[in-house]
Amino acid sequence: MDNKAQLQTLEGLGAALLITMTVVIITQSATVMTPQHEMMLDVQFEQMAYDALTLLDVAPSYAIGPNLTECVSAWDMKGATMDNSTLPLLDNALSLLLPGFLYNVDVSYVQNGTLITKNTILQGYPTEDAAVARRTVMLTNSTVTAAKGKWSLASDELQMVEVKLTVWQV
Amino acid sequence: MAGLKDNNSGQLIILSGFVLCFSLVALILLVNQTMITGYHSSNAVLEFPKHQIRDITSQTRESCVYMTELALDLNQSSNLSIDHNYRLLFDQYEQQMAMLYAGHGEQVTLDLSAMNLTSMATNTPNINTIWVNITYSNGMTYYSSEPEIIEVRP
Repeated sequence: MDNKAQLQTLEGLGAALLITMTVVIITQSATVMTPQHEMMLDVQFEQMAYDALTLLDVAPSYAIGPNLTECVSAWDMKGATMDNSTLPLLDNALSLLLPGFLYNVDVSYVQNGTLITKNTILQGYPTEDAAVARRTVMLTNSTVTAAKGKWSLASDELQMVEVKLTVWQV
Repeated sequence: MAGLKDNNSGQLIILSGFVLCFSLVALILLVNQTMITGYHSSNAVLEFPKHQIRDITSQTRESCVYMTELALDLNQSSNLSIDHNYRLLFDQYEQQMAMLYAGHGEQVTLDLSAMNLTSMATNTPNINTIWVNITYSNGMTYYSSEPEIIEVRP
């Protein structure tokens, strides 16, 4: 009886098992971060920031309280300092929607042909992997009056305001 | 082939080694291809300005409805027609949106091409529509919706 082939088969099986086990252990234990993975995380992060602003703008008031337009209408036109927000309603809503994240909010608007940008929520300086989301809202005399804000708008005047949300994680 | 069968001094082992090598090379190429695919799809999602385009179109639709209500209110408190009031409001909207987007290097043009607000003045239950030409460009992506037909009041 020739048992040479049987031994070689057993060796082959042993080698195959060894290779398979090694590959499985390495792939299970190692986390590989490629630029592609980072970009995918950026995509998800940016989407989350846009979702937060969109939700605040379009959700009915009985679901979330004041919406984005009402929050901006209620602005007192003052700039923010560190951890001293001038849009407290928006700050409360964002802290619920983005738990564990830091964020800044700037508002931009056009006044007498000039583009003006001001900080309204300032929580720090963003890291280089921060995501930025923007959404515009329209203010009128009636929305500002209802929200008791300090915007000065005539009855035939519109004010487009861009809300810029910068989110990052530390 | 007969030689291969009779000689068991290592030719089969070398041959299996070659087969394994080629299989591994093929697998590595496949894995690399999937990584490149992931890179391009993520990059495309990041670069394509879908959020900006959505913001412009949805904001224009929403604002047109508000502007109609405002134009109607102004018509009741002044002698100016609804169309005239609407054009004045739309000019403000168009100029401010263009400037806000120019602030981050994007070009937006909004052009009020036509409007049908006649039934609003006579209180007839016709559909009122606003036709707006929207274009957007960030230097890489150009989008246009000409016209965007917006129903402002039943």
